Amino acid sequence: MSRLSFQCEHRFSGGFALDVAFDVDHPVTALFGPSGSGKTSVLSVIGGFLRPQRAKVVLGERTVLDTAAGIDVPPERRQLGMVFQTHLLFPHLDVEANLRYGQRRRQRKDRPIEFDRVVDVLEIARLLKRYPGKLSGGECQRVALGRALLSGPEMLLMDEPLASLDASLKARILAYLQRVVAEWHIPTLFVSHSQAEVRRVADWVVVLQQGRVVTAAAPGEALSRPEPLGWKNAAGPVNLLRLEELAFRDDHATGRVGDQLLYLPPMERPSASPVFVQFSPADVTLGRQDVTGLSTRNHLRGRVCRLVEVDGAVFVAVDIGQILWAEVTPDAADELDLKPGSEIVCLLKAHSLHVVE
Amino acid sequence: MDLFSFALLTPYEWSALRLSFQVAVCAALAGLPLAVAIGYFLARTDFPGKWLLEALIHLPLVLPPVVTGYLLLILFAPRGPIGAVLSGVFGVKIVFTWWAAVLASLVVSFPLMVRAIRLAFQGVDPRLEMAARSLGASRLGAFFSISLPLARRGLVAGWLLAFARSLGEFGATIMVSSNVQGQRTIPLEIYSLKSQTDGIEQCWRLVVLSILLACAALAVSELLERKQSRHESA
Repeated sequence: MSRLSFQCEHRFSGGFALDVAFDVDHPVTALFGPSGSGKTSVLSVIGGFLRPQRAKVVLGERTVLDTAAGIDVPPERRQLGMVFQTHLLFPHLDVEANLRYGQRRRQRKDRPIEFDRVVDVLEIARLLKRYPGKLSGGECQRVALGRALLSGPEMLLMDEPLASLDASLKARILAYLQRVVAEWHIPTLFVSHSQAEVRRVADWVVVLQQGRVVTAAAPGEALSRPEPLGWKNAAGPVNLLRLEELAFRDDHATGRVGDQLLYLPPMERPSASPVFVQFSPADVTLGRQDVTGLSTRNHLRGRVCRLVEVDGAVFVAVDIGQILWAEVTPDAADELDLKPGSEIVCLLKAHSLHVVE
Repeated sequence: MDLFSFALLTPYEWSALRLSFQVAVCAALAGLPLAVAIGYFLARTDFPGKWLLEALIHLPLVLPPVVTGYLLLILFAPRGPIGAVLSGVFGVKIVFTWWAAVLASLVVSFPLMVRAIRLAFQGVDPRLEMAARSLGASRLGAFFSISLPLARRGLVAGWLLAFARSLGEFGATIMVSSNVQGQRTIPLEIYSLKSQTDGIEQCWRLVVLSILLACAALAVSELLERKQSRHESA
């Protein structure tokens, strides 16, 4: 049985139509798409804050919304932990009272989510007596996550909880989210418009575009579809490689991907692991053989595994131990005679890499 | 006139002060629950014809108070549509008692209270209620635990505004309230003193008293506002 089964048809007064159906069976599922694709509306329907014309939402064994059968469980009885785009902490209550707000109203007392443990995992013990107005953006989101957890939810719903944070903070909050999922095994559905985020934390992705599902698959597969590869906005393609081993020599750093070494831009020694590098497919140059006498530091050998043509560009997936996407022109792809199985070298300037913790 | 005789109010002045206070507190308290309900409703909902409701609530603000008083007199007179029910069923007489002064003050000050409270609720992000409900609070629970405390500054401001307006209420009050010496509020007392010989001379102590009361109300509202804004800024 699915943890969540969702079907919804709704036409907004502005003309936008939402026609979405998907199931959630994985620990962490991402609802991914560019802004305006209907992600937040889907979350509002699940949460009980938007009543669509036709919908059926089943949470585990409970039907919480079925317009045909006239079932509409109010939001407070759906047992969902919601984390919103802005933290929405209650400004007149201190952090502890915010955390206890949902805990006191818990409907199932048997959920083993303890206050002290949540405070520990999210590292918010020293914030308990402070008021939300005095917290930083990252601290607010951690408290909001803790507050949602302590309500003892059957599922966590997160609406771009990281949209308002800068890149390094984002990465740190993601790490907290992963800890939470590992500790309490609460299925999580999170809305995102960042491929890097999705690649990093999701086990399954539902890709939305203009109110419809494009595909639902594991991240590697779903993000290889022409639609997400073709997006030119913030939701556009991004490479994310996991660095297996970091080494610091003098003032430059290297990381290992498979059995190859990656030169990184000058950086501080990271405080946490794992560490990832993020870069655009457009920053990758492909060559049929290795060339010497170039300033480019990184020459990664790999094998082409697939080619996807998207209006005026060819996206090439290269297996270098992990999958890396390169964007080239159709002419270049022809000239290099790229085919699945071709041996290839990926050239990558150290300075086009962004290291994220 | 020396300072001593100023500080010592006459029995009539004392009773005017006491009655004014009593009327203003009762009027502002009686109006509060309804003003909160209507203020919240106006802040959170939108429907065609909302302007009609708003106009109706604001009417006493623009009507001459004497007209408001006249209408109250018609409605609440022992043979009037509401007065008949009150005296017939409950045996209660309103007009020409001090309750009539409360009623007049309540009606006249109500729009001011609703306005302040409505503005306060508009300043509370409705998504906070959403968050509260997702955490298991009912609609009513979210209102009492989140919206109401966050709007309390406006509630206090609205209450004090209504209180201060009630202290000064004259036009509607004189139409319905008793006008016997010893049963007059401060404005009524000043008005009746004015028409006596040497009355103007005697008025000024009540005038100063009125000014002091108004200043005190302002000071209290300022103080409460400062106290509250301490940790909620940002």
